[in-house]
Amino acid sequence: MRVDSRTRPVWLAMLIACAFAFVVAGCGSDDSGGSSGSSSSSGGATVPGGGKIGEGKQGGDVTFLAAGDVDYMDPGQTYYTFGYMVQYAVNRPLYSFNPSSATDPIPDLADGEPEISSDQKTITVHLKPNVKYAPPVDRAVTSKDVKYAIERAFTTSVPSGYATSYFAEIEGVPDNAPIKYSALKPFSGLQTPDDQTLVIKLTKPVAQRVAAALVMPITIPVPQDYAQKFDTKVPSTYNENVAFTGPYMVQNDPQTGNLTGFDPGKSIKLVRNPNWDKSTDYRPAFLDSITISEGNDDAVVAARRTLEGQKTMCCDSGQLPPSIFKRVLDRQQDQLGKVPSGGSRWVALNTSKPPFDNIDVRKAVIAGFDRTALRLTRGGEIIGPIAQSYIPPGIPGHEESGGDKGFTEFDWMQNPEGDLDLAKKYFKQSGVKLNSDGLYGGTDEISIVGDNADPGLSTSTVAQSEFEKLGFKTTFRKVPRDTMYTKFCGVPKSEPNVCPSVGWFKDFTDPESMLEPTFDGKAIKPAGNVNWSQLNDSKINQAMADAALKSGGDRNQGWADVNKQIVAQAPGVPYIWDSSFQIESPDVNGVMNGYYTTWDLSFSSLK
Amino acid sequence: MLTYIIRRLAWSVLLLFIVSLLVFFIFYTLPSADPAILRAGRNPDPDLIKELNKRYGLDDPFYKQYFIYMRDLVLHFDFGRSFQNNVDVRTEIFERMPATISLALGAAVVWLCVGIPIGIISAVKRGTIWDRLTMGLALVAISAPVYWLGLVSIYLFASDIGTLAPIFNTTGNYVDPWDNFSQWFSSLILPWMVLATAFAAVYARFMRSNLSEVLDEDYIRTARSKGLKERTVIFKHGVRSAITPIVTIFGLDLGGLLGGAILTESVFNIPGIGRTAFDSIQKSDLPIVQGTVLIAAAAIILLNLLVDIAYAFLDPRVRY
Repeated sequence: MRVDSRTRPVWLAMLIACAFAFVVAGCGSDDSGGSSGSSSSSGGATVPGGGKIGEGKQGGDVTFLAAGDVDYMDPGQTYYTFGYMVQYAVNRPLYSFNPSSATDPIPDLADGEPEISSDQKTITVHLKPNVKYAPPVDRAVTSKDVKYAIERAFTTSVPSGYATSYFAEIEGVPDNAPIKYSALKPFSGLQTPDDQTLVIKLTKPVAQRVAAALVMPITIPVPQDYAQKFDTKVPSTYNENVAFTGPYMVQNDPQTGNLTGFDPGKSIKLVRNPNWDKSTDYRPAFLDSITISEGNDDAVVAARRTLEGQKTMCCDSGQLPPSIFKRVLDRQQDQLGKVPSGGSRWVALNTSKPPFDNIDVRKAVIAGFDRTALRLTRGGEIIGPIAQSYIPPGIPGHEESGGDKGFTEFDWMQNPEGDLDLAKKYFKQSGVKLNSDGLYGGTDEISIVGDNADPGLSTSTVAQSEFEKLGFKTTFRKVPRDTMYTKFCGVPKSEPNVCPSVGWFKDFTDPESMLEPTFDGKAIKPAGNVNWSQLNDSKINQAMADAALKSGGDRNQGWADVNKQIVAQAPGVPYIWDSSFQIESPDVNGVMNGYYTTWDLSFSSLK
Repeated sequence: MLTYIIRRLAWSVLLLFIVSLLVFFIFYTLPSADPAILRAGRNPDPDLIKELNKRYGLDDPFYKQYFIYMRDLVLHFDFGRSFQNNVDVRTEIFERMPATISLALGAAVVWLCVGIPIGIISAVKRGTIWDRLTMGLALVAISAPVYWLGLVSIYLFASDIGTLAPIFNTTGNYVDPWDNFSQWFSSLILPWMVLATAFAAVYARFMRSNLSEVLDEDYIRTARSKGLKERTVIFKHGVRSAITPIVTIFGLDLGGLLGGAILTESVFNIPGIGRTAFDSIQKSDLPIVQGTVLIAAAAIILLNLLVDIAYAFLDPRVRY
């Protein structure tokens, strides 16, 4: 389009105005401003992320910016990190984790370590006396409340995502759980000889694993006299009427218990529990209140508001946008919280169909894959080490599995940047057709179904290019993450050849929770399957069954041996044991909790 | 006129029925996440999935599910319950409606007050530097994606992170007007301006174009020849004719926004229907998706009907 001389100044002025807006906006994203850009004067963290444990200013209110909502407020149903962050501030399970250790649970509602019988079939837990519920329940917690909490999780009113996985061996658990609430009968294996004692009887000698699982929110007490009227509904409406035992509570109607401070999708208001007795708890609970503001979909805006604002913490995703991450690492590390996520990520190879039903093809893929490139899609070395097995750091069995180096006898795992010569060796050994370069020469396309949003999208894209580098022809379908899991990767009959952005994170600090769901052949399900490789090796299955019955050091070694057998089968390309990151405003003394890998609201404070 | 209105309302019901059927069809034919598996957790028990499928009626045939949904909707005005958190969909939608209405109406006032006068002035001063400047800026405003514009405005003007002039309330501070009127108002100033920008530009260009055409008509020359004041010529004769098509698009635009300005609500964290719809689509929460789509469709249909009725008053030649 010709621009004549009369109009040229006008267009020039407009162009300059636009450019100015771009420059100012762009400068704003890098200009850290005064105080937030200063070097740390907080003395540095003595533990992963943020502030010093147990030290903080009493009082104050903080806002936590989140994109999404908690999954549930009901402790019998919550199963995700964000829900745990709230739950462990407002409630007390039998055991929980002090931020100083993500591996050794400490007694919370319990009065001491669980007593495990020599036959590994009985667990006895003593409860602290005089731990009171917040209004309107207003009475002391008893062992019957914990018993009821566990029982209700096996009903259709309270669909728990893990009750049958970890607590099914309790005597009296119905075989056909979940059952109707009206059909619920007390479990014979949950005994309460007095108000402060809970005895758990098991049908199998798996006490070690069950005891480890007592950190989960299913053991948060639920008063049956109060909750029953909610639990008779399907689904239970206890989610909107939770009783609280922690230092904080969700603001509620003190007469009815209705959670007035819980507006799903909008906000959650945590206030002090007036009945909380500090002498019974290890938590300091410095803050007076925490407001969780939801719907902060734009992660960059939320992060900037946190970094440049006041009394703000962020974020529920555990991952920072790359531009923010770089900025924080460069200039604001004192506002960054970091803990190992206690999980592994890998590219799952479907072992149930060609070409990955051939173990040597799988070994060739792992050998040739540039796993450092995959790790880069998550943020690079700062995020965590290259995963060399499926038990991440911090989980028992990791050291017995060779630690961060893994099993050095498996040559295909030794070069994370990829070794094409070794890949060619395994391709040749596999007997498949080779191309002129000695790489995979098969003509069938392999199907890849991955995330359509970052960082999973980047990981999947890199994975696709690595497969093509190794000679595979690929088709890559991008779908939303939930669709990926629930319609493709988690459904064996429609699972593609490759699920490139899967990961599994600990439920509690025990190797069984890492390996059994993801690699036990017996765990393969028609829907919601998380054994994405569909690995079904009878020797491994039996080894898992044997290791599940062990305890102590034998248990750790047993699961390390299982880990070794899994790695030997090359079911996937593990590429990172990553970390979770959170940020805080300059005036916040945030403390990370290594168990649920986000801010610990009952230890955080203002400076 | 009454017959016309009744006929239009009858067609509206049919249209809403078709929209609801389409939404159901799309949900079931395109790959979306399985709501029962999502609700069941990350390592779900197969029996639990089966139970949830039964609870939500997801194991029924598609037509049965649709029939039950429509029966409850027509007989009880019941939109069902969310798959995700079991909230009543109708309650959820109506609780969020004030936010969307506030955003849409406020933005409408801004874009009408800005766009139409600019369009009139540009038409009257056709060919001048004013005309070229405003129309050029309008083009830029139309081209700027609202999400980008929203983010830029936050980075420049939000009270906590604005770098140019941090004078406007930041994101996430919306409250309903009866809870705190001044906070409600201040939280919406920036969203109103952002949302109104593209619309104001479109309306300015549209007004300029229509009015320019009308001002060339014979009757305008006659009005001037009669000695009428220029202001009277422009407003009483010119704008009155030129504004009729704008009324049409206004109805469509406002109706569409009342269904939820998804991008603006997401950027500024306004808990309206649009954001609810977006979140629900991501979570495959069909009842909420269905409810929000139906509300949006109803808003568009109703606004269009009102526009058509308004036509009859604006243009004496239009009779039904």
